[in-house]
Amino acid sequence: MSITVLGVNHRTAPLEVRERFAHEPREVPASLARVLAAGARGGVLLSTCNRTEFYLAEPDEAVPDAVWAILSERLGGGRSASDYGYTRRDRDAVRHLYRVSAGLDAMILGESQIQGQVRDAWETSKAQAGPVLHRLFQSALLVGARVRSETGLATGAASAPSAAVAVAARIFTRLAGRSALILGAGDMAELAATCLASEGVRVTLVANRTYERARAIAEQLGARALTLDEAWEHFTHADIVLTSTAAPHAVVTWDRVAPAVARRQGRPLCILDLGMPRDVEPAVAQLENVFLYDIDDLQAVAAQAAAERRDDIPAAERIVGEEVERFWAWYGGLVVVPVLKEFRERLDQVRAAELERALRRLSHLSPDDRGEIEHFSHTLLNKFLHQPTIALKEAAQAGRGYGMLEALKRLFGLERRDDP
Amino acid sequence: MVLVPHLIALGLYALAAALALAPFAGLRPAPRALGLGVPLLGLAAHVIGVARLTSFLGVAPTLSMLALFLVALQAASEGLFRASAVGVFTGPLATGLLGLALLIGLAPEAPPASGRGAWSILHITVSVFGLAMLALAFIAAALYLLQFRELKAKRFGPVFRLFPPLERLDQLNHLSLVLGFPTVTLGVLLGFGVRYAGGASVDAAQVVWGMLTWVVLGWAVGVRVVRHWAGRRAAFASIASFAAVLLVYVALKLAAPGTQRFL
Repeated sequence: MSITVLGVNHRTAPLEVRERFAHEPREVPASLARVLAAGARGGVLLSTCNRTEFYLAEPDEAVPDAVWAILSERLGGGRSASDYGYTRRDRDAVRHLYRVSAGLDAMILGESQIQGQVRDAWETSKAQAGPVLHRLFQSALLVGARVRSETGLATGAASAPSAAVAVAARIFTRLAGRSALILGAGDMAELAATCLASEGVRVTLVANRTYERARAIAEQLGARALTLDEAWEHFTHADIVLTSTAAPHAVVTWDRVAPAVARRQGRPLCILDLGMPRDVEPAVAQLENVFLYDIDDLQAVAAQAAAERRDDIPAAERIVGEEVERFWAWYGGLVVVPVLKEFRERLDQVRAAELERALRRLSHLSPDDRGEIEHFSHTLLNKFLHQPTIALKEAAQAGRGYGMLEALKRLFGLERRDDP
Repeated sequence: MVLVPHLIALGLYALAAALALAPFAGLRPAPRALGLGVPLLGLAAHVIGVARLTSFLGVAPTLSMLALFLVALQAASEGLFRASAVGVFTGPLATGLLGLALLIGLAPEAPPASGRGAWSILHITVSVFGLAMLALAFIAAALYLLQFRELKAKRFGPVFRLFPPLERLDQLNHLSLVLGFPTVTLGVLLGFGVRYAGGASVDAAQVVWGMLTWVVLGWAVGVRVVRHWAGRRAAFASIASFAAVLLVYVALKLAAPGTQRFL
């Protein structure tokens, strides 16, 4: 028995490669079915924008090839997915999943979105996961929750878009129900708008130099499209303004927005300038109750939070280590009983066969003497098995049973599969 | 047995102040239950101590009561507004006020005159509660201005991380000012009740300056409620009105020193 993870992540593959490996939830069962058909007793596929990983229970030797074949087909161009991949086995595989769930392996240290993605992966793969992976993923979610509650790994905003949310949350009591105006159609503004929308902010207006592009994004976000020239008067009502235009100079100037801001009756306005070069004239920050932050400011907030989170890595790793041992003790206990049973049966078969052969040669013995020899063979076998049985059970309870069982299986040729 | 509960309260208030200030010294913020539980325990001990006072007359009992109301309002701010940063001000302030009350001595300095005891208790309690609310309005305004300055200057230090959002501080300031002013007004009216019921002597200077302070407070509430001032302007108005209360108090104390009366 073993647990294996094969996959790619943000450390081993660039974005353009990772996005080819990404699976939609509806694609997961078919891919898992192909892998299980190659010889595995259970599988879960975790696919996010940063990673695609197959978690497998008891994979046969052909299984890694099947996984890399599936991913290589998606990659195309005759390239091999294994060039970007990694494999972790047994304890390392368990540790890997726990670290992923805790946010220790994330691009943004401690990010919490992965916890939901691990849950989704488990839900999507439930029918094909099998009992060992079922237990593994259940425990991974608990480990993630434990790390987040017992350490400061999830505190603060460690990315620019989440820093945008953190800054806005220091101005407004509640972000839910606030209105946001987006100027420009940059990816960063769209990402930050998504972060704000996830906090309940309503993106009501999208303005861009070209109306068609504004309309395309506005439709995605359920907002109204405007041209840039129409946007300035809306500085009176919007609570948050996100800018990310491709303009080579500042488009949001004092002259354009000061009259609208003056009509706000002291209500705060948060302007998040994510453009490069900046879209907002620095003088706009001098307007009363206007709070202007550019990408450097947000990155400073994010860097501060990330630095604070790094202090919590040792505590988080300690929790992960404890939980790996706990899982491994359970897993070792799970496998020791059937293997011991098979081991005992195998030796008993040998004993019975050798006894029969010996008794054939000793046909002159009385029935009592034959019975005595048979009793002796049983006693001898039990004496021989006593110490290994005790040692194996103790090792399993201490979480060290798996290695010993593997040795036992190899030494005595115990290859029979047993359900956990 | 007035002293023991007061001393317990003092210790717990000091601990609560230390917990509130710890994050600004680079230490981890205390869990919310601890940050709220310690002052509440102190409050419970303090209530027992105040209930055992034989007289509320004099500076020391009034300071003790003011500390009690401040901590109660701090707990309410934390519970209703998640404004734990209020404790940064109220913690040391309540500790200082209670410590001062114990230094002065909580023993009754003047026996309650018959016929005006109930009026006096009501007058002092309501007035001190109103004063505590105005102090809370002042604290919320000060926190607002500090957070405003940090946000404008793009400094993302402990104030940015630990202080409540600007809007919440503005709401806390608004609420405490709007509730504090009628409470103080009621306290003043009850003071007249004390005067007419028992004939307590009140100097003309006290009446004139007291009314002037009341007008300043009324102005701070008026600009908020009638002219819809908010944010920084409202915070400055709130601070100015509370400063007027303090200045008048100090001036009257200097003009007519003594510990028999709070005002």
